[in-house]
Amino acid sequence: MKKIFSILALLLGAQVASSAAFDLGNILQLPEPNKQKKTEQPAQPSSAQSSAISPLMLLGKTPVAEEVRIGRQVAGDLLGAAPLVKDDTLQRYVNTVGRWVAQQSGRKDLTWHFGVIESEDINAFAAPGGYVFLTKGLYKRLNNEAELAGVLAHEIAHVSKKHHLDLLKKSALIGTLAQSVSKEVKSGDQAVQNLIGNGAEMLARGLDKDAEFEADRIGAVFAARAGYDPWGLPTVLQDMAAINPGDNRLALLYKTHPSAADRVAHLGEAVGDRFDSLPAGKEFPERFYRIK
Amino acid sequence: MKRLCGILALSLASGLAMAAPGVALKDESVLSKPVAGSAAVGKLNKGMAVDIVAKQGGWLQVKAGGKQGWVRLLSVRAGAGGTGGNGLAGVAGVAGAVTQKSDSSRVVAVAGVRGLNEEDLKGAKFDAAELARLEGYTVSASQAQAFADKSGLKAVKIKALPKPESAAAGETP
Repeated sequence: MKKIFSILALLLGAQVASSAAFDLGNILQLPEPNKQKKTEQPAQPSSAQSSAISPLMLLGKTPVAEEVRIGRQVAGDLLGAAPLVKDDTLQRYVNTVGRWVAQQSGRKDLTWHFGVIESEDINAFAAPGGYVFLTKGLYKRLNNEAELAGVLAHEIAHVSKKHHLDLLKKSALIGTLAQSVSKEVKSGDQAVQNLIGNGAEMLARGLDKDAEFEADRIGAVFAARAGYDPWGLPTVLQDMAAINPGDNRLALLYKTHPSAADRVAHLGEAVGDRFDSLPAGKEFPERFYRIK
Repeated sequence: MKRLCGILALSLASGLAMAAPGVALKDESVLSKPVAGSAAVGKLNKGMAVDIVAKQGGWLQVKAGGKQGWVRLLSVRAGAGGTGGNGLAGVAGVAGAVTQKSDSSRVVAVAGVRGLNEEDLKGAKFDAAELARLEGYTVSASQAQAFADKSGLKAVKIKALPKPESAAAGETP
C-alpha cells in the first residue's frame, strides 16, 4: 500500500500545475450561455433576513428568500454539530463541481453552497435554499469526480424538489407559532428557529423513502446532464451496499434513508436500459481531489 | 474497475475471496461482453448469490452458477446476502450465510468509531462563523460554466427517469 500512496502523492504533486484549472481566480469569467429566466428571483441570504415568516404559508418577501432563510438556519445548525473540513482547496473544488451540477437542476435562481463536514460518518445532507453537505467519511470513499457529482446531485435533487421544505410545511411545527420578530441573533435566525425548532434535528428525522428513491433517480440524471458518467451515483450506492449495514458510520444514514441495497434495486428498476444510449460521460479520476 | 478496487479491497482484507459478494436483483441474462445485445453465456435468477469480479462503465462482471459474464451495474447489488436491506431479506436470506464472516470482522474494526448521531444534531448550536466560511466558498454560475468549459464538460439533454411502475423493486413483503 505504501507504494500506492507515494504514487498517489506523485500524481497529486504533478497535478499542482494542472490543478491551476481549479484556481477559480484563474478561471475566465465567461458570460452565462443561457439568459436568465424571467421567473428567477434574487436569493441573497442577506435580503432574506429582513422578512418575517408567516407560519402556514412560509411567506416572505419572496418564496425563494424564505426558503433560503430556512436553509441558512438548518445549515448553521448542522455546522454547529460538524464543522467544515479545514481544507480550502477541497471546499472550493466541491463548490465548483456542485454548482455546475446544480446548473442542470432547474434551480439556477439559488445561490448554491456545498460543504464537506468533519465526520467519519458516511452521509450527506441537503437543506432548503441550496445548502448541500457531505461528510468527510463519504468523500474519502469516492474514486472520481463523477461519483462526487452523483452524490451532490442526489442532494441537489432534494432541494430542487423541495422535499425538506414540503416536510416542514406539512409538519405540525409549522403553525404553532405566530409571526415572530425577525432578528438575527447569535443563535441564528430566531424566527426560523421558533418555527422549525433546531434545524439540524430536521435532518435527523429524514424524509420518506419515496423522496429518497426519487432523489436517486433525479440525481443520476442531473449528474449525467452535467456531462458526467451517469454511473457515479449508482456506483456509490453499490459501495455503500457492500458495507455491513450495522456499521456505526451508517447508523444515521440508515435511520433516515432506505438501505443502499433497496436504493440500488429501485434505481435499477428505473434505469433499466435507459442509460445505454447516453453519450459517454466524464469521470476525471486523475484530477479528483483527494483529502490528504 | 476502479470502484471494484474498493470493493475488492474489502474482500481481500478479509482474506476470504478475490471477488466481492453480491445478490442478483432480477432474472437476467449474463452476457459475454459488457454490451447490450451481446451473446448470453448464462442466466441470473433473482436472489442468486454472485461474485462481483470487475466493473466497467455501467456493467459488472460476475461469477454465478459456474458461469462468468457481464450484467448491468444495477441488476446486482453488492453486499453479502443477509446483510442487505430489510427489503431484500426474503430473497437474499438463503444466499446470505455464505459470506457473513467477512462482514462481522468489519463491524469489530469500526465499532469504536462514533458517528454523527441524532443527539449531536438535536443539540447542535448554530455556528455563524462556520456558516460564513461556507458562504465564502460560493462559486458563481459563470465560474461553474467556465470550469465546465475548461474541462470539456458539456450540458446534455437527458430525459427524466420515470418512477418505476412496480414500487416493489427489491422489496418483498
